[in-house]
Amino acid sequence: MDGVHDLGGKQGHGPIDVHEPVEPFHADWEARAWALSKGIGGTPPDITIDWWRHVRETTIPADYLTRPYLDSWLETDMVTLVDSNICTVEELATGKSTTPASHKTDSITVADAIAANRTYATKFDRPINAKPKFVVGNKIVAQQNASTGHTRLPGYVRGRSGKIHAHHGAHLFPDAVARGIEKAEHLYTVVFLAQELWPEANDSKDIIFLDLWESYLDPR
Amino acid sequence: MASFDTKKATEIHRELHSHLPSEPALRVKALESLMVEKGLTTTETINAWVEAYSEEIGPKRGAQVVARSWIDPTFKVRLLADAAKAIEEFGFEGDATGHLKVLENTAELHNLVVCTLCSCYPFSILGIAPNWYKTAAYRSRAVRNPRGVLTEFGVSLNKDIQIHVWDSTAELRYLVLPQRPAGTESLSEEELAKLVTRNSMIGTDRNLSTQTAGES
Repeated sequence: MDGVHDLGGKQGHGPIDVHEPVEPFHADWEARAWALSKGIGGTPPDITIDWWRHVRETTIPADYLTRPYLDSWLETDMVTLVDSNICTVEELATGKSTTPASHKTDSITVADAIAANRTYATKFDRPINAKPKFVVGNKIVAQQNASTGHTRLPGYVRGRSGKIHAHHGAHLFPDAVARGIEKAEHLYTVVFLAQELWPEANDSKDIIFLDLWESYLDPR
Repeated sequence: MASFDTKKATEIHRELHSHLPSEPALRVKALESLMVEKGLTTTETINAWVEAYSEEIGPKRGAQVVARSWIDPTFKVRLLADAAKAIEEFGFEGDATGHLKVLENTAELHNLVVCTLCSCYPFSILGIAPNWYKTAAYRSRAVRNPRGVLTEFGVSLNKDIQIHVWDSTAELRYLVLPQRPAGTESLSEEELAKLVTRNSMIGTDRNLSTQTAGES
């Protein structure tokens, strides 16, 4: 999706706040928002990371760029909850449920949370029969046209030439998973020269690595 | 069931925009009340997650891993070969580290990590991401003008040092292994860990101090 989220290489977004306080949370609501995203995670289970990311991409562009990050993150949670009929917009506006509790959840302790976190080291690689189309060192060109839905092929490398740096086997393919289809594709780390990407980088020897799925790439 | 329907998601965002208070604290409060009332979570559970990410799950974990790699060459080999597995030795595996990779800085090379499409970050090893990491300013410029970004963070890089920028576009997550500062031969692993800043593990800090002052 050619949305405002695809920020790589865009200009005019101003300075970085390098003096941000080091504390993890800068306001109480930030802590609650982050913890809520953990505490209600996986409700319901068909909300995949790819669908979730796509939902975030459908945020009103002005909101995406201006609302505090965790606020925008939580709005994404809210949209997935409404979309999956867990609650309604009206309930979110009032904070009151119009139906009796449908679940019973036991409270967890800090130790439980830390232990639960250890089980979240999710693997996204999957077995696949198809042989990889590329090997390390192959020259590729990234596709010019990407999916109109969710995709992880950023605009700034489309149509640009790069080289296969590493092969990671097959990983779940976000463009499909975000549509509710479980499918895996070979995943590669692809390296692009800054010179190839940016007109002002003529004399740069810096390089940029992206992790890209096979169908994003054509041989060159 | 999720609809997987782009148009529907867009419409719900617009409804929320019109019907919810604009103040983030009020929105969060309403969601928490609602989720508790529906029995999907409890206040105590939310408190537990806040505390877990305020204390235990944070950049001090990454710093411990870095310090271990400085003093134990065999651990460093394991870390560079398979970081997702190596951090299990500390019990630090978790959210977003299933495919963790470690990128080693050298005298000739500096690594910088970004996620231009959202804000992917190795939570279980670095904790919650700093806000700047999630801003349009950082995400847009890290891939296009990494030297400018580093200058903003007070890191001036010699022209001869090559920058490797890593855009986290898949489920691989990256942790930068900064160089051990000179003159720290006598320090213990624990003392070394205190020298490692969060930003040095993202790549927006490079020359670590030998004094334990750096907190970012």
